[in-house]
Amino acid sequence: MKNITARLRPGIKPRKPYGLLAYLRDHYLLYLMLVPGLFFLIVYKFLPLYGITIAFKDYSIFAGSNPIDAIAKSPWVGLKHFDRLFSSSQFVKVLLNTLIINGYKILFLFPIPIICAIMLNEIRNVAYRKLAQTAIYVPYFFSWVIVFGIFYSLLGTYGIVNSALAALGYERISFFSDTNVFRGLLVFTEGWKEVGWNTVIYLAAITAIDPTLYEAARVDGAGKLRQIWNITLPGLAPTIVLMLILKVGYILETGFEQILVFYNATVYDVADVIQTYVYRMGLGQADFSLGTALGLFNSVVAFILIVGANTVCKKLLNRSIW
Amino acid sequence: MQLRKRKNVNEISLSTSEKVISAISYIFMGLLTLCAILPILHVVSKSFSSAAAVTSGSVLFWPVKPQFETMQYVLEETPFLNAMKNSLIVTGVGTVISMLVTIGTAYPLSKPDFKGRKFFIMAYIVSMVFFGGIVPAYMVVRTLKIIDTYIALILPFFIVHFNMFVVKNYFEGLPESVEESARIDGASDMRILVSIVCPMSKPVLATVSMLYAVNYWNNYFHAMMYTTSTKMQTLQVFIYNTINNTQTLVERLVIGNYTNVSIDGIIAAVVVLSLIPIVALYPFVQRFMVHGITIGSVKG
Repeated sequence: MKNITARLRPGIKPRKPYGLLAYLRDHYLLYLMLVPGLFFLIVYKFLPLYGITIAFKDYSIFAGSNPIDAIAKSPWVGLKHFDRLFSSSQFVKVLLNTLIINGYKILFLFPIPIICAIMLNEIRNVAYRKLAQTAIYVPYFFSWVIVFGIFYSLLGTYGIVNSALAALGYERISFFSDTNVFRGLLVFTEGWKEVGWNTVIYLAAITAIDPTLYEAARVDGAGKLRQIWNITLPGLAPTIVLMLILKVGYILETGFEQILVFYNATVYDVADVIQTYVYRMGLGQADFSLGTALGLFNSVVAFILIVGANTVCKKLLNRSIW
Repeated sequence: MQLRKRKNVNEISLSTSEKVISAISYIFMGLLTLCAILPILHVVSKSFSSAAAVTSGSVLFWPVKPQFETMQYVLEETPFLNAMKNSLIVTGVGTVISMLVTIGTAYPLSKPDFKGRKFFIMAYIVSMVFFGGIVPAYMVVRTLKIIDTYIALILPFFIVHFNMFVVKNYFEGLPESVEESARIDGASDMRILVSIVCPMSKPVLATVSMLYAVNYWNNYFHAMMYTTSTKMQTLQVFIYNTINNTQTLVERLVIGNYTNVSIDGIIAAVVVLSLIPIVALYPFVQRFMVHGITIGSVKG
């Protein structure tokens, strides 16, 4: 590269042979800058990878001078904890719950923002459009605890919804402890928090579509529906595919904090997912080895899904997640 | 004349479907807007309504028999302000640290001829796609003896890989010529980063710092896992505990003889007070986050 530059621009003198040491001397600051981040990687990302061996040991937190040291001092037990995990009915339950809850979320919530973005784009009144566009994604910035607080206010025993039901002569519904409605509550609150934000993402993609396409279609006599079907949707297709791939790729990761905040012992049967179970067993009940084993299972499947999603992304859209 | 005529023909052929779609859009987006805003309005109304009105369920979207005792109770009798202080410290300090680390990591990795670039990027990708798990991470934090400190609350988001890659990709997209000419003038790497690259990347840096701030502010799980004392609890942990320990609240209300304060009112007040910083920052959030969407989608 440097030789080519030198040849093309004879005025610039070719540099002296430039070795690694010289490079390091000139740019040591660049390496110094990397140190804090790398320190974090080693401590909080790679050291826990060593901690995975807890899954293959009878781990006792007090076996060593500190919890990490204790890992080395605990005895190996092979796949004992995995046998325990895979033969328990809980494992099947939390796996199914994870798939069912996230499946519902994708099924019911994925199409809504696409439709909303198309509708929002049809609104010609600038003030109205701006108001809607600003208001709908306010909830996206609320924490799950705040969303929980708001919905507790709305759906609690003496909340506005139950007061209305009671006034109309219906029975009050305990939304937070009824196993029949709890998954619906999870899907609905997820929608409340995320639909507006996703709408804005799709809207950004719609505004990037070349407006001359619509003009041409109009001249050809295409109606509104036809324009949406033949121009807007194809224009949105890459974004839709990307979002769907990401959703599927991160299916094991999402929803954890929401469920952790919303659920309680009465709805464990329908709401306990892999991550909440890892947390409750692994830290809550101090069954560290089982928690780590299930966490490892989760990480391996998540890894396959995410790398798979990225491969599909690269193939279909020529774009990488990272 | 001819032009107008053609326009008319178009209008006639389109009018019905166009009008219907337009009407549906106006109505539906109106409903969606209400759906986002009314619950917030309801909570605000509840926090300023009398205890009797709150418990009877007669508060809708405007305070009934307005009072400030609930707010006063939350501010004076609960650890709310302390929790708010913790959250502000973690968010403020955390965001600044995370931004410095993110920029410091993204800049070297954005240089195509940086020696070892591939290796470092690989390290980030590997640790991004493979997670050691909750239990091992907790053991590390315990080993470091930082449980119940601010450090434990900042550590999990010290550098968020996705944010780092967004900044790195943005740096890569900057025109090289400016940097080149500064280098010929003898500017050092640090100098170039601080006085050329960063000012040119203001929009993406604003967006990413917003993402970090939201992460820190909203995090409940790590705050719950890594803190044990009331003194160290963050706002999210405090709110969660308030909603889930209503029994102790009832007792305290009875003992303190707060007749015009109700449990549901307190929960509403706590939620409303914690929303103030988000609402105050919303204009900035809106400006930079919406811009950030396009940055996120352009990255390749």
